[in-house]
Amino acid sequence: MKRILITEDSTTMRSLLVSTIDSMESFDIVEAANGFDALRLLPRERIDLIITDINMPDINGLELISYIRNNPQYREIPLFIISTEGSEKDKEKGIALGANEYLVKPFKPEHLQELIRKYIG
Amino acid sequence: MTISNDASGRAVKDFLAEAEEIIDQLSLDLVALSDCADSGDCNPEIINSIFRGAHSLKGLAGMFGFGTISDLAHNLENLLDSLRLGKIPLNHSTVTVLFDSMELLGALVRSSGDGDDEKLDISEVLSRINACMTVPVKTGGGSPLESLGIPSGMLNALTEYEEHRLLENIRKGKRLYCVHASFSLATFDSDLGELTDTLKNTGEVISTLPSAGGNLDAGIDFDLLYGTDLAPSELRGMLDHEGVEINPLGSDQPLPLLQQEMFESPVQPGQQGEEAGLTAKSMSRTVRVDIGKLDELMNIVGELVLSHSTIAGLTMKLRSEGFSPIAVDLAKAAKGLERRLSDLQKGVMEIRMIPVGQLFDKMTRIVRKISREQEKKVDLRLFGADTELDKLIVEDISDPLMHIIRNAVDHGIEPSEERIRLGKNEKGTISLSSYQKGNHVVIEVEDDGRGIDLKKVKQKALKKGLIQSVDGLSDREAMEIIFLPGFSTADQISEVSGRGVGMDVVKNNIAALSGMVDVESEPGKGCRVIITLPITLAIMKALIIACAGRTYAIPITSILETLAVDKRDLLTIERREVMQLREATLPLVRLDAFFDLQRPQQETDEFYVVVVGVAEKKLGLIVDNLTGQQDIVIKSLGDTLKGVRGVSGAADLGDQRTILVLDVGGIVGEATRGML
Repeated sequence: MKRILITEDSTTMRSLLVSTIDSMESFDIVEAANGFDALRLLPRERIDLIITDINMPDINGLELISYIRNNPQYREIPLFIISTEGSEKDKEKGIALGANEYLVKPFKPEHLQELIRKYIG
Repeated sequence: MTISNDASGRAVKDFLAEAEEIIDQLSLDLVALSDCADSGDCNPEIINSIFRGAHSLKGLAGMFGFGTISDLAHNLENLLDSLRLGKIPLNHSTVTVLFDSMELLGALVRSSGDGDDEKLDISEVLSRINACMTVPVKTGGGSPLESLGIPSGMLNALTEYEEHRLLENIRKGKRLYCVHASFSLATFDSDLGELTDTLKNTGEVISTLPSAGGNLDAGIDFDLLYGTDLAPSELRGMLDHEGVEINPLGSDQPLPLLQQEMFESPVQPGQQGEEAGLTAKSMSRTVRVDIGKLDELMNIVGELVLSHSTIAGLTMKLRSEGFSPIAVDLAKAAKGLERRLSDLQKGVMEIRMIPVGQLFDKMTRIVRKISREQEKKVDLRLFGADTELDKLIVEDISDPLMHIIRNAVDHGIEPSEERIRLGKNEKGTISLSSYQKGNHVVIEVEDDGRGIDLKKVKQKALKKGLIQSVDGLSDREAMEIIFLPGFSTADQISEVSGRGVGMDVVKNNIAALSGMVDVESEPGKGCRVIITLPITLAIMKALIIACAGRTYAIPITSILETLAVDKRDLLTIERREVMQLREATLPLVRLDAFFDLQRPQQETDEFYVVVVGVAEKKLGLIVDNLTGQQDIVIKSLGDTLKGVRGVSGAADLGDQRTILVLDVGGIVGEATRGML
């Protein structure tokens, strides 16, 4: 089963993402409450898709993406940013750093499901 | 369509809980911001933390379809974004707008709990937010970032905010460093945390970039972009960590100050070490539990305690019928069970306990808000914020405490000019303190304002017909007048709680928690309100007593002593029964008379007096018999019987009997007010 890493510091938002993906009944989910958790999980789990927020304490989403895209081991993993509409600059940077998709909250669950299927379905 | 349409009620509940948490943290940060707005020396991390909170709230509310909250949070976020990026100045009026927006957000979230966030109007606050954003500060032109020698990987991963912080550091003429550190994967978060804390004492960590390199499976590297006044040698001396490498960026001379007019950005780094704790750190080691579940658990523990009492009773009976090895073993087992039960009870009780500090934070906000509204200068001092109290009590005491605090600022503290004229410090002081006293927690609110003028109180009470005459009214009795229904008037409608409440409501709310409220005041010097509360309401030891054929429970926490008394010991003074107790006169109340109980037979000449005391007041309750001590779980009487005087609830004795628990605070209150 393909595995998806969700990095999101809001518990409510995280469980929303989990239930959206769970309802597809085709994926394993690994949850990270912040960037540090994600850094710890990456070498331990085989991850097939990463979903991350940008605004997080400790290390933010851009820093996490930069790390992932600069590592040969993780470079090819599809990565979505899910963020509240915010700085245009940050969005551009996220894409420039190598995010595959950028979703703005609030988004339609079906839209996220469609994108997941497109990349790892 | 948003997720809200098919999200279950539970998810919405989670959202509300998280939203409240975010708002609590935001309010805390706002208080810190308000403090430093005066001095102009603010830790940028505070504004960033508030920004992040508003940002999260906007996203969450949007997902759940709470349009108004999302809308307000969005506007607030824009304002905070401009603040953190230095596009507009931080000043008092901005802080006021932030406070008011936060209040409104809190109210919106609360009303969303009722399924509707559209009731409140946000347009006025929105236009004030927008007005704040029309005052830009002068900023410098383009950034010379590329010429600094910052690695492009690092530069590319800077958020807009981090870029702004970098520019600020350059503007201030700070030296910039890339601090490279390698840590083991097992401990990198604590190691990095330690390094970051050290660095923050002498500068600003602008960005933390995890970097590829080294062995990916065992370790992880970080590049920290750091701005400071320290020279390379000083920095190297400070960072004596293994695996830490320091690379000065640009030249190793301090960067030249940019033009002076660029300095007008009001937010300045500093005091990072001290205030690092203010960041909205996630509470990954805590579990959010519905208090109802803890109540249920506590009920089960209570039932277990009762079952144990039954077993212990049977064991005693078995032993009294003759010595047998089984009886001894059973007694031992019962003893063991008792110990574990008491541990369990203690454990569940501890989960319910929270520090009153959470309450104090709320009060700090209120004092700031009201003193700003009224343009009074108030210094709020907090003592004993770590005193622990049952979560439910903390919640229920919040409104009464808010009212008392509001009174202190509204009516107690004088305007600055008046204080100066009176030879007082221009700034008024309100002390909010809490401490444990036996099985009670005392919360005191003390101010150094004008105090309560008893003469005026008496006149007002006379005018309102609350008392017939002021003759023979002691100061203490006069002070009780302020707690009479109808004394506080509608001109005291509280904006904080949104409804007109008087001290009578405050008193009733506190009494409903088996607590007491006392007021001491010296005209011209100030006023002190003392609230005494039980530590928990969930389970308590009680004395079981009998009177006129009925059985009642009296919480042990309010009992001072019990006395066997003969009828001849009683005296009557001013038509009230009293007795002499160690040089003092103890007022008495006959429980049968209080409840208007009919006696099946003539009362005897010998009876018991249970001396109860709440706060500073003592009273003797005359009862027929003392049956014994027992743990009881107090259950509410339900809405229909809620107002019954003298009774705070019911308890199950474990032998199918349900008895009433006396509301000692209420009975003592009635007795001291001379209503009996």
